[in-house]
Amino acid sequence: MAVQGGTVRPGSVLRPPMAADFLAKATHARIGIVLAAIGIMVAMVSFIGSTVNAANIADDGAGGTTVAAYNAWTFGISTAGLAFAKLGIALILWGIVRRLWIRVESTKVGLAKLVPYVDGKGDPAGLSGTNPYLSVTVTRTAPDAYPIHKMAFKLWSPMLVMGAMLVTAGVVFSLIEAAAGADGNTADFLTYSALAQGTEFFGEALLLAGISLLLGSILGSLRQGGGEVQESLGLAVKTPIMPGTAKLFVALMAIGLMGAMLQFVLYLFVAGEDNPATISAWFAWLGPLREASLGLMLSGIVLALATIGTKVLPFQFLRIQEMIRNGK
Amino acid sequence: MASAPAIKTEKYGEFLVAVTNGNPGLNLPQRMGKALWFPMFLMAIIAFPVALILGIVRASAVSDGDASTAFALAHVTTGVMFIGFMGVFSAIVFAIARILGAFREGGGTVQTAAGRRVLTLVMPNTAKAMVVLMMMGMMMLLAGIVAEFALAAVGSGAITDGDNALLQTTQSWSAWITGLRRFGNTTYLLSIAFGLYTIVNVIRLQSKRIRELGDEPALNAG
Repeated sequence: MAVQGGTVRPGSVLRPPMAADFLAKATHARIGIVLAAIGIMVAMVSFIGSTVNAANIADDGAGGTTVAAYNAWTFGISTAGLAFAKLGIALILWGIVRRLWIRVESTKVGLAKLVPYVDGKGDPAGLSGTNPYLSVTVTRTAPDAYPIHKMAFKLWSPMLVMGAMLVTAGVVFSLIEAAAGADGNTADFLTYSALAQGTEFFGEALLLAGISLLLGSILGSLRQGGGEVQESLGLAVKTPIMPGTAKLFVALMAIGLMGAMLQFVLYLFVAGEDNPATISAWFAWLGPLREASLGLMLSGIVLALATIGTKVLPFQFLRIQEMIRNGK
Repeated sequence: MASAPAIKTEKYGEFLVAVTNGNPGLNLPQRMGKALWFPMFLMAIIAFPVALILGIVRASAVSDGDASTAFALAHVTTGVMFIGFMGVFSAIVFAIARILGAFREGGGTVQTAAGRRVLTLVMPNTAKAMVVLMMMGMMMLLAGIVAEFALAAVGSGAITDGDNALLQTTQSWSAWITGLRRFGNTTYLLSIAFGLYTIVNVIRLQSKRIRELGDEPALNAG
């Protein structure tokens, strides 16, 4: 169980036990790097396939069965390479969430020795609410997690699992498409082409959703962890209010995911079409739709990272300095 | 904020750190990250909808049987879409560099506030790999984007002129460029993975440092 009552509990999937070794090796991150490296090797296979395909086209033209088969499997394999890399990134992000919680425990231990005692240290009235990076609340105890953080704590792993399954299914479709292309079976080739594109890109979108929710978990953990540290020292708690960049991150993720769902449904519809001319017209705009959907989700990820790097972390470091200097 | 120069480097547990008497400030990639994440993000967020609109226009050309326009728009759409991907992947890498900068500056200011020596992780090989892989990915995507626009012009002209040999050449190049773009995307993702891996190690160092900071004598303790 990752969360209980909306907070991340020690000993859960996202948070090691409080007594965890703060110098333990970064296992998640190491496996993540290996997965990303496998991704680049798979992408290299696809690139070599595309190079051979280019030679085939130069020799025999673009209309042959061999070219159709190569187009199909290089697409499928290259998308699988991207999926491996994204899963690797997700694993590293999971490791970051766990590391942040270990950092929280270390910060509690370290600041207990550094923060001087002052009278009235736990009184919110004695603490300024101004901050150059974020709007903050000042309370006696840490506030509850935002609903979006609670959602992130719970949903990141199902998204990743579903994404990986759909990409795998899409790779299988692309291999069937390649076989149909090699046999000159145009009807099956077009059907499986639609299925492969729609399924693989919906899978990629779910993987990005999992990554986005892990970033949401990082933001939620920074917020909850910051509150825990301040409470453990008996101080009033300064907590960031969700900034505009974080809200826009959620909006872009949602719009991108809806676009990915739409393209998936439309590709399923096109898979049932018979007329090659009609299918070509659908493919002409469904391709950009599926890519733009992923692009918007990636744009949301930029904003999540920017929120961490330009707002939340600078706020936390400033708050730690304030505690060390003023004792409250 | 003025940055303090490194006095020396030393081993701090398993970590190689630079020792300074104050905040070490941002290094070059982190300064670039601070300045460039937003322009890159902006470029991406504009390119994606433009590419989608071009795709819809192309669907109309395909329906009308206008082969020359459809061919040109196919490549222009891809070119614009990958301007977006180049922008968004670069923005992600720059944002990660910004996070690393926030850890570096923040760690420096906290150690300074505590009156202790400032220890900062010397740029690890994983961070260097992030920068190198990002540049490789960017070059691949940039080459792909330029080639897409060139193929749009050459290929549509070949269709209009009925020059099948030239059309075949552009189709061959298109297949190769497609592979290059896909490989460039994955290279960017590997760069991002290395950047995030670096963050993990920075957090490991900071967990050790903050825990032990209070046990170290203050610089002005006499």
